[in-house]
Amino acid sequence: MIRFALAGNPNCGKTTLFNGLTGSTAHVGNWPGVTVDKKEGVYKRCEEPIAVVDLPGIYSLSPYTPEEVIARNYVLDEKPDCVINIVDATNLERNLYLTTQIMEIDVPMVIALNMIDAMEKNGDKIDAKALEEKLGVPVVAISALKGTGIHELMERAYTVCKEERKGRTVLESGALAHLITDVKIALDGQGVKNPLFHSVKLAEQDELEVNEHKDAVKMVEEFKKTFKDDVFGSDFEALIADARYKYISENFSSVITKKNKEKFTSTKSDKADKVLTHKIWGIPIFLVILFAIFHLTFSEDFLYLGKIFGFSSLEELGVDTEAFGGTLLACFYDGAIFSPGVIINNLWNNIIVEYCFGWLINLIESSGMSGWAIGLLNDGVIEGLKAVLSFLPPILVLFLFFSILEDSGYMARIAFILDRMFRKFGLSGRAFLPMIMGFGCSVPAMINTRTLADDKERTATIRVIPFFSCGAKLPILTAVSGAIVAYFGIGNADLITYSMYLLGIVAAILAVLLMRNTSLKGETPPFIMELPAYHAPQFKNLMAHLWDKAKHFIKKAFTIIIASTIVIWVLSHFSFSWGFLEDEYIDQSILAQLSMLLQPIFTPLGFGSQLGAFGWVFVVAAISGLIAKENVIATFATLAACLVASGLELGSLDIAAESGIDAVQAMITATGIGIPGLLAFIAFNMTTIPCFAAVATAKAELINKKSFNGTLIFWLASSYIVASAIYTIGSWWWTAFIWAAVIVLTTWLVILYSKRAKNKLDNNNPV
Amino acid sequence: MQPVEIVIIIAAAAIVVGVIVAAIIRRKKGKPSCDCCDCPCCSGCAEKKSKEKS
Repeated sequence: MIRFALAGNPNCGKTTLFNGLTGSTAHVGNWPGVTVDKKEGVYKRCEEPIAVVDLPGIYSLSPYTPEEVIARNYVLDEKPDCVINIVDATNLERNLYLTTQIMEIDVPMVIALNMIDAMEKNGDKIDAKALEEKLGVPVVAISALKGTGIHELMERAYTVCKEERKGRTVLESGALAHLITDVKIALDGQGVKNPLFHSVKLAEQDELEVNEHKDAVKMVEEFKKTFKDDVFGSDFEALIADARYKYISENFSSVITKKNKEKFTSTKSDKADKVLTHKIWGIPIFLVILFAIFHLTFSEDFLYLGKIFGFSSLEELGVDTEAFGGTLLACFYDGAIFSPGVIINNLWNNIIVEYCFGWLINLIESSGMSGWAIGLLNDGVIEGLKAVLSFLPPILVLFLFFSILEDSGYMARIAFILDRMFRKFGLSGRAFLPMIMGFGCSVPAMINTRTLADDKERTATIRVIPFFSCGAKLPILTAVSGAIVAYFGIGNADLITYSMYLLGIVAAILAVLLMRNTSLKGETPPFIMELPAYHAPQFKNLMAHLWDKAKHFIKKAFTIIIASTIVIWVLSHFSFSWGFLEDEYIDQSILAQLSMLLQPIFTPLGFGSQLGAFGWVFVVAAISGLIAKENVIATFATLAACLVASGLELGSLDIAAESGIDAVQAMITATGIGIPGLLAFIAFNMTTIPCFAAVATAKAELINKKSFNGTLIFWLASSYIVASAIYTIGSWWWTAFIWAAVIVLTTWLVILYSKRAKNKLDNNNPV
Repeated sequence: MQPVEIVIIIAAAAIVVGVIVAAIIRRKKGKPSCDCCDCPCCSGCAEKKSKEKS
């Protein structure tokens, strides 16, 4: 099959074009590194199907970043039939730098002049024909976002790919051109493919070229000597870059006609950035936006109007909440107006989930099957599934808000404003980008760390990614914080959830500070990033991402979660001698006996031996989270149902309402666990070893086995320390002083270690 | 034991074994075992990286 590669700067619209061509839902981000490898799809509207490869965004073909190496190697080694170079029409001169380099490769090429709609909206014009004449390469104006010009582009590329094209350089005058020509002739004689490209790179003293063509390096040095001594100076790379930009500036400023003749004009994005990336107010604004997101998703008192005005509950108003109308109203209001996320959650759970699963549960109970079969299906499978599916709405709503932030371009700004703060802790703002991806899922976030060139920075980032609670951990946060509010009647679910998310961020910063001053000490690399213009997220893209997220979540629920709840139910209803146990003898089961052995380990964390007879459920829940974090709540639901069936007294708690929050409340009733223990449980699950998939990814991405083993120990140690700190301080406030002393001592030891290491280095390398 | 109960046992065992086998197959193909994310860069990456390291 014919193959076309899409190459261009970051944020020029490659992935948008790729999605438009292939019908894919590949993720479009606004920061570098969203595409860290290549993606492939098929375009079917030409005479024959065409494989389309979306390469990572790059500014040049020099090997400074992994993306540049990937894109360069693909074009040179895989030899696509045509390279479609996407150029952002609103930033022509900057984008043409890469174009001048791709032109030097012997590969058919078409330029897609993208964002032509944005340009026309600004009142500017670009002469695509003039651009084509000057470059000698076909140019097609398109708008990947609007879908215009795409078919014409592919038709043009299809025509061009059948013709052979020899590389052409814009470095056509002066001593440099002579040098390049001489080297090219020599390489041509040696049968080297793409001789022009390699000769320019050798002249630049490109690192990859120097390593791959060692013999050619000597030849280039000999050629340089044939020129006068002071012709070139010493920095060839800067010389060649300067020559390229000079060529672009002289030849292409005439193809653009700007409406506003002023060289520098403030765009709407610039004006917004004055506020949103303010050096003092930038971070507080980010924290407020983050809080707003959590408030809109989790708050049961929208804008705290209920507290402020003292609204009456539905019961006080005399509304019958058992009737359908009352149930529907209760989804929106009950003493307070619920936030949009909570409304959607209530509608989903109280009407859809309750109706579907309620009907199924009644059907099974009236089927006449044996007690164990009913128990396996209802308590094991359905309870677990229901508990997990009940969290689909908050996951989607939170994901929607994060997607809006990302697609609008704001997330890129966060990386920029956090760079100053992160630098103090030994990370660049570039490390923040994979961490933010960790809010979705740790697996792609860890893979995304490939954009970090420094191995130590990469290792530190991979280690703290799980601290940024992924979507799978959201049910734990929501269920436990919701149970705290419902059972103890204190706090707000949105505040608790927001605080735990912030705790994860703070824990990550402290962990990085420690690592970058001890075992992973190193220089913080510079961070340069192009800020994309703000734009309204496309509704179609947002809905496509939400659909993908929902699909994966439901698929996971009906596979891994069901399998896990079946195993948990079986292990909690059989003894070691494989005798079947009724619910009231659950304490004698394999699961209970094994968990009780581990229970003392969790005592300092608040959910160990102090919880009495059923405390082992917390141990099982935490361990089951290693398979998938959603399992934690599924485990609570399954085992809570068994305990209720065994006669556990719930007081006024209505377990028949049956959601994850109710399951946690049942466990609070069964074990007597307090708020500190519950918060410690959340913190433990947030910072401990993530799911097996993330562990496997970490193993593959880390540089060696020693690093991976260190990472596992780090996760276990950090979760233990954080959770025990929360539990002890929450239970006995004065222990805060002991923890403060420990932190001060640790900090002093780190500084001492740091100074000794520096002195040792200075002694070994005297100036 | 009723026939439907036998079916339930077989189905439960099949689900558990099926999920484990699917996870093993996905790992062999270099994909994460949980399919929890839609990141296309997952496919083949882990396997390729471990081959590069070796």
